[in-house]
Amino acid sequence: MKSIYRFILPLGLALSLTSQADTEPTLFAALAMTKAQEASSLPTDSGLFIYDRHSDSWDTIGPEILFMNSIAVDPKDPDTIFIACGNGIVRSQDGGKSWRQVTGWRESDVMRIAIDPEDSSHIYAASVWGVNVSRDGGESWENANRGLHETWSRPIVVDQRQTRRVLVGTEAGLYESKDRAREWQRVAHSPWVPVLDLQRSATDLDTWLMATEGQGVFISRDDGRKWTSVVPELAESNIYSVSIDPADPDRMIAGGWDVGVWVSSDGGKSWQGRGEGLASPNVTAVTFDALGSGRIWASTFEEGTFYSDDLGRSWQHDERLDGAYVFDLSFAPLRR
Amino acid sequence: MISIPSHSLKPIRALALVLALASGTFVSADPLLKSDAEIQNEFRDRATYVLDNAIERIDPSDTDAGGIYDLAVALNRGEHIDWARQRLRSYNETPSGSMFWMIPMVLLMQADGGNLTEEDWSFIQELWRTYYPYRGDTENHWLMYYTGLYLAAEMFPEAGTDAWYNGRSSAENMAEAKEYILDWVRITTSYGQGEYDSPRYIGEYTRPMALLAGWARDSELRQIGRMMMDYLILDFTVESLEGLHGGAQSRAYPREILRPALSVSMAHSWLFFGQGEFSPNASNTLVALSGYTPPPILYRIAHDRSEAYVHKELKRTRWRLRNVGADTFEVDGKRTRPVYKYSYVHPDYILGSSQGGLLQPIQQRTWNLIWREDEPLDKSNTFFALHPYSSPKEGMMYFPSDWDTVTDLIARSKADYDTEDKLIGGSKYEYIVQHKSALIGLYDIPEGTRFPLINTFFSRDLEHRTEDPSGWIFAQGGPVYIGYYPMAPGEWKPVDWTGLMAGGAGGWFSANFVEWSEGSESYVSYDLKNGYVLQVAPVRDFDSFEDFKRAVRALPLETSVEPVPSVRFTSLEGAELEVRYKEPLIVDGKAIRTEDWMLYDGPFARAERESQTLDIIYGSERYHLDFIQRRIESSISSEQ
Repeated sequence: MKSIYRFILPLGLALSLTSQADTEPTLFAALAMTKAQEASSLPTDSGLFIYDRHSDSWDTIGPEILFMNSIAVDPKDPDTIFIACGNGIVRSQDGGKSWRQVTGWRESDVMRIAIDPEDSSHIYAASVWGVNVSRDGGESWENANRGLHETWSRPIVVDQRQTRRVLVGTEAGLYESKDRAREWQRVAHSPWVPVLDLQRSATDLDTWLMATEGQGVFISRDDGRKWTSVVPELAESNIYSVSIDPADPDRMIAGGWDVGVWVSSDGGKSWQGRGEGLASPNVTAVTFDALGSGRIWASTFEEGTFYSDDLGRSWQHDERLDGAYVFDLSFAPLRR
Repeated sequence: MISIPSHSLKPIRALALVLALASGTFVSADPLLKSDAEIQNEFRDRATYVLDNAIERIDPSDTDAGGIYDLAVALNRGEHIDWARQRLRSYNETPSGSMFWMIPMVLLMQADGGNLTEEDWSFIQELWRTYYPYRGDTENHWLMYYTGLYLAAEMFPEAGTDAWYNGRSSAENMAEAKEYILDWVRITTSYGQGEYDSPRYIGEYTRPMALLAGWARDSELRQIGRMMMDYLILDFTVESLEGLHGGAQSRAYPREILRPALSVSMAHSWLFFGQGEFSPNASNTLVALSGYTPPPILYRIAHDRSEAYVHKELKRTRWRLRNVGADTFEVDGKRTRPVYKYSYVHPDYILGSSQGGLLQPIQQRTWNLIWREDEPLDKSNTFFALHPYSSPKEGMMYFPSDWDTVTDLIARSKADYDTEDKLIGGSKYEYIVQHKSALIGLYDIPEGTRFPLINTFFSRDLEHRTEDPSGWIFAQGGPVYIGYYPMAPGEWKPVDWTGLMAGGAGGWFSANFVEWSEGSESYVSYDLKNGYVLQVAPVRDFDSFEDFKRAVRALPLETSVEPVPSVRFTSLEGAELEVRYKEPLIVDGKAIRTEDWMLYDGPFARAERESQTLDIIYGSERYHLDFIQRRIESSISSEQ
């Protein structure tokens, strides 16, 4: 089964991620340059960096704003890009040529943005102050914390099978809305733990991974209803990032503090530490290549970003992001 | 007493000052006898001096140096214009600093005196189009950001979305900024500032408010600016002593902690009230340019320390985003916790406190004593104690950072945050109560807590420090006697015993630390269940130091640490005080109810919680600020 996924699914995945002929899944890093930050409360630089695999180069996109946390791209219109940042949300509707702050003073410290894949007028933003939602493509925003016990939120995902369903990871665990964030209910069989990342398999939509603060990695195999802890060695660790290979749902990775990168090749049943070769065991972001090559990327705290083509057995150092604190390392369907 | 150094004045102005002094137009013998006109004339003279001094600081031959606030003065005065235009460009080669860039840029734009050319304006507009300031993560950051944005946009009211860094039109930017500013005023005058009573950051509030008072074309915001200036100055003045900022504070740095006179509050006191000595200060420069003049009632309150008084205030913590705790309340979806401030303002000293706990990240001053000194600039005239707590939990309570990085990133700018010998910060294991000149600190520190100790600061400027067989440690600081009773033994250590600050940690942060701290000592106690009693008294009330010691030794005092620390103590004022850790203070058998605390409750200021008003009172004078009606009422009652 695994080999089928490896060779057939990349094509389907690539087709699904490149619905526009001139777009392709592009690796981005939302980061702040903190290593050189001395005697100051502000990093020396910050921004969104995108990786051009054709020229093997990193370039910046978007305005220079401090504390950029992530981006989201409208799946129906790759020219519409949203930046989640300390100032709120900044949007481009012309592929990054011009930008406009679309949130006001009531929205700030936005960590992640999710766009309804069927109706992109519905946009959801998770921030340290809770959830904000726009129902008009980002023109206006409203608070959407009803039902949340604690408002601090980070990962937010729209269920592509039933787009009225939205999941958000909060300080008090995982919450679910079935009415487009008008009301939230706690996911009953999920841990009471701050949720730092939430990823769904692109090919097995029932499989999800959750990264937590202080309780390691959890997995759900029933579309997010029941969650069980995996990786006993990480059960007390802060795991900042998880990812599932879009080409093979059995291949998973997790990165955290003082634990490096852990990988699974059997759908989460067993995990192996693969941190050797990284410059630091403190990993803040990981991701699989969205094009299905099997390559994994990992960013360490201030000590550089690395990639591996053998599931972490060996690592190559991409020195161009050295010194960075990477908040999000992922792929977005950007126009080439 | 005028403290302008005459040697630094231009000859003609020095002559004018001498004439003014001789003619009595600049100063009267008794500040409390001055007329309103005298007070306001003197203020304007000091403001003029501030601007003269700014011009004198400029070296017109060096276009790569010179402060941006001084540049604004040069433009306003029409002096050194060539230098100013070139300095404007060199200063902005790579704009940075976000709101700290916005405020002075708006100042020079507003106060340019018609001396900026079309080319200059094009250059400035291009900066606003291309440089994207960060809104920041503190209350003062946001207020400066939105005030700067409002006033910049107001100068180009028709400008469209392509004129501004954020892709919003002037009208949109003004609407958003005004809404934020008015909301900040509502929150502040209803629940108190979250970043309250900072002897340094007071300038980060007076600068934007003076900008509004001086230049806002919108009459509502102009009035709000003036009223909030009155409010902010009153807030500081009632807890000041000859310009020294006393009482519990949200944020301070080693500079103001070790040398209370080296503060922006002190600089403001010179400008507003003629107290202390002149020192160049950007906030004073902006205020002087703005034309704002404080009401004379504030001058009288600042100068009248004829009688001791209790002043209570309600403030609040910063908004908490995680680990908010059960003791918080919600305002518009954000959580905060009340801060109960109690200050005893005596003619010779101020003893002030808050309740303890994690009220602010990093730089909280839970309590402290300051005393009057004739030459305060060189004095470390302060006394305080703390549990040096640090924790990612505290950092994440207030900052959008992660568990593993928040402490490290805090220490990048606040170098001492994670050290056991730090002199500032709150602790969740600290509980403070106070009644007039007596203060009790109780600690119940769990096993395994990082930095399990209590650190009490004994200044080098204390005299006659004596470890008495009774258990009290006695000392004299200027005009105040101090009795400190530790509930557990301790040991003497030099301040900064880890050597971190002496080693230059944090660059500017620890600059001059050795000079300020050398010779002072810390009394360090490692018992986890612990506490102390502090009794202070004016020297003038006793025949001798020995008399004071005898009186304190005779005071009834019972302490216990099991099951939790507790104290029963009868103070020199005769009040019977009883307190157990984290339980209400009982005074003469009656428990103190903080639930009823007013926003301001003292002889000079009164305001109910959520009232959005403030009554400033001096004798028969009443100055009423009504932030709902945006109205000031001033009256003099025939009844005293």
